[in-house]
Amino acid sequence: MTEILHELAAALYLGSAAAGGWSVWKGTGAHWVPRLLALGALVHAIGFVSLHREQPPIPLESFPAALSLMGWLIAVAYLLSMRFARIQAVAAWVGLAAGLFTTIAWFELLVGPQTVRSVAGSGAWSHAHVLLSALGFSFLALASLAGLGYLAKERALKHKRGVGESLPSLESLDRMEHFTLALGFPLLTLGVATGFVWGIDQGLSPWSWHSNLLLFAWAVYLLPVGLRVVRQQHGEKPARSVVLGFLLLASSYIGIRLIGGAA
Amino acid sequence: MNLLLVGLSHKSAPVEIRERYSVAEGQLQGIDEKLVRDTVCSEGALISTCNRTELLIVSDDAVAASERAHWFLNHDIGDGSADNHNLYELRDAEAAKHLFRVAASLDSMVLGEAQILGQLKGAHRAALAARSCGPLLNRLFERAFRTAKRVRSETGLGASQVSVARVGVQLAEEVFENFADKRVLLIGAGEMAESALHGLHHAGADDVRVLNRTRRTAEQLAARLRAEVGDFGDLESELARADIAVASVSVERPLLGQAELERCMRGRAGRPLLLIDLGVPRCLDPDANRVDDVYLYDLDDLDEIAARGRARRSAASAPAEAIVGTEVTRYEQWRAGLDAVPVIRELRARAHALALEEVQRGVRHFPDSPEIREALARLAEGIANKLVHRALERLRAEAEEGSAPYFADAAREIFGLQEEDE
Repeated sequence: MTEILHELAAALYLGSAAAGGWSVWKGTGAHWVPRLLALGALVHAIGFVSLHREQPPIPLESFPAALSLMGWLIAVAYLLSMRFARIQAVAAWVGLAAGLFTTIAWFELLVGPQTVRSVAGSGAWSHAHVLLSALGFSFLALASLAGLGYLAKERALKHKRGVGESLPSLESLDRMEHFTLALGFPLLTLGVATGFVWGIDQGLSPWSWHSNLLLFAWAVYLLPVGLRVVRQQHGEKPARSVVLGFLLLASSYIGIRLIGGAA
Repeated sequence: MNLLLVGLSHKSAPVEIRERYSVAEGQLQGIDEKLVRDTVCSEGALISTCNRTELLIVSDDAVAASERAHWFLNHDIGDGSADNHNLYELRDAEAAKHLFRVAASLDSMVLGEAQILGQLKGAHRAALAARSCGPLLNRLFERAFRTAKRVRSETGLGASQVSVARVGVQLAEEVFENFADKRVLLIGAGEMAESALHGLHHAGADDVRVLNRTRRTAEQLAARLRAEVGDFGDLESELARADIAVASVSVERPLLGQAELERCMRGRAGRPLLLIDLGVPRCLDPDANRVDDVYLYDLDDLDEIAARGRARRSAASAPAEAIVGTEVTRYEQWRAGLDAVPVIRELRARAHALALEEVQRGVRHFPDSPEIREALARLAEGIANKLVHRALERLRAEAEEGSAPYFADAAREIFGLQEEDE
């Protein structure tokens, strides 16, 4: 049951991305794309409830579960952000990101153990670390999507090409980036901090290579946050640094996963 | 009489060339006067808008008129930078059809825009003031205005009037989410600027400042539209505080270039500045678009945006084209009728001369009284008029059908007009 819900959620996310792409291609309205995304998030949430019933508590420390949670959080964070900015037009992008996260998580489940298993040392710190990191990661993923959208739109406007018309306004993307960065960075900070505490709790060195990698990715985010908060900077520069920060953050997670460390 | 139209427009020439052929409204009359001083042109009118510069000429010699029009456009109006690909030439019915389409806004950047009609009326007024607008062009303009009115009232084309300036508002929506907290700067207080302001007001912009070389004009516009007036000398500092600037002033050289814009953008912390240049010649140096966070759009850029929306309005343009076709046919019939005018005049003059001759011969048999002489003159003139009336009507009708030469020759033969002329 959990797997079916998981697959359905991934299909709905990817379906919303395809529908968004189709509406851009055909130049038709895409008001129902966020609805499809919301439906996917609802099915995904039911999937988590089902997983909790099967294996209480949800083993968030496992990579597939954490990845799936991030996919869900990206969708939910976007749907919440829609209340603050006119960003309906990026629903397809969010659907693609959430769909990919959820699909990879599902693929991990297929190739790995048939059920999501707990890792050693799970407890309050590990749950806090995974939840906060996943939340921070999700918001920062949205920030990077907004930053990427901003750069694409900016380029289209500068070169006077019509492709940018399928994206929200520059101001909307800038606001979305600001909002998600403002939420994502403190959550990531807390996630990194709780991860350190968890490591120490397990008798691990706080300065292991993957801790340093995460710390480096976190430090990269100081640039856009500094530009935004201290210099009140808008536009292209923060957008670039947010995209770069997320690339590093994602690379560090993928690197940790490939080399076999726990997230 | 041949009707000739030579010119360039947004469809044939880029703005870099159009701006070199642009003529301010105040200079139209002088050019019209110069045009008809030439013996080749019996009538002439210059149309110059943001998107087109066109010469309308009436002449007996079509070949000479064409050469003259090209020379005039390239030497007296423009700088010769337009080549044969940029210039087009239309004759008679095609020229009339083109003007009617222009008046009906079927040849505009944005189908259905209303400004072009006012600009054509301005060109007509200038030609009338210059006495370069004779019966043929006068009728042509009147028919063009009538066509525009019909298209506006009988088709959906004018239902949602869209102007180039409003396309600018659509563009602003690509940059800004809302306009409530944005400062809009209008550089120039002309019709285009006013139209842009209406669009921005409608979209929610309240903080508007108007800059104009003539402060009084700016104040009048600002009073009408609840805007504030700034000092034209403070253009750079005003621009530094603005989010959107719409420039529509008459200039010979750009008001601001890349260096000035770079100065304006310092301290804005990446806040975008949208510049919409509605001027021809352009008010802002195109290189200003290279400055970070500056988005500069000129009329050609707006044309591209409008072109994307043109397809949506093309459904309404089909009946509009039909109206243009009907009106062109009517105008051409009227113009064909002009071929019979000399014969009609001759015939009427001949009839009146004969009547007068008979009165002078017959008056000798009556007492010498002015009243009797006058009554006899009226009687003879009335009989003469009634006798030729039907012939004149037939001549007019046949002329409109295109048979004027045949019937004119017949009338000359029957009434002995040819012999009289000889």
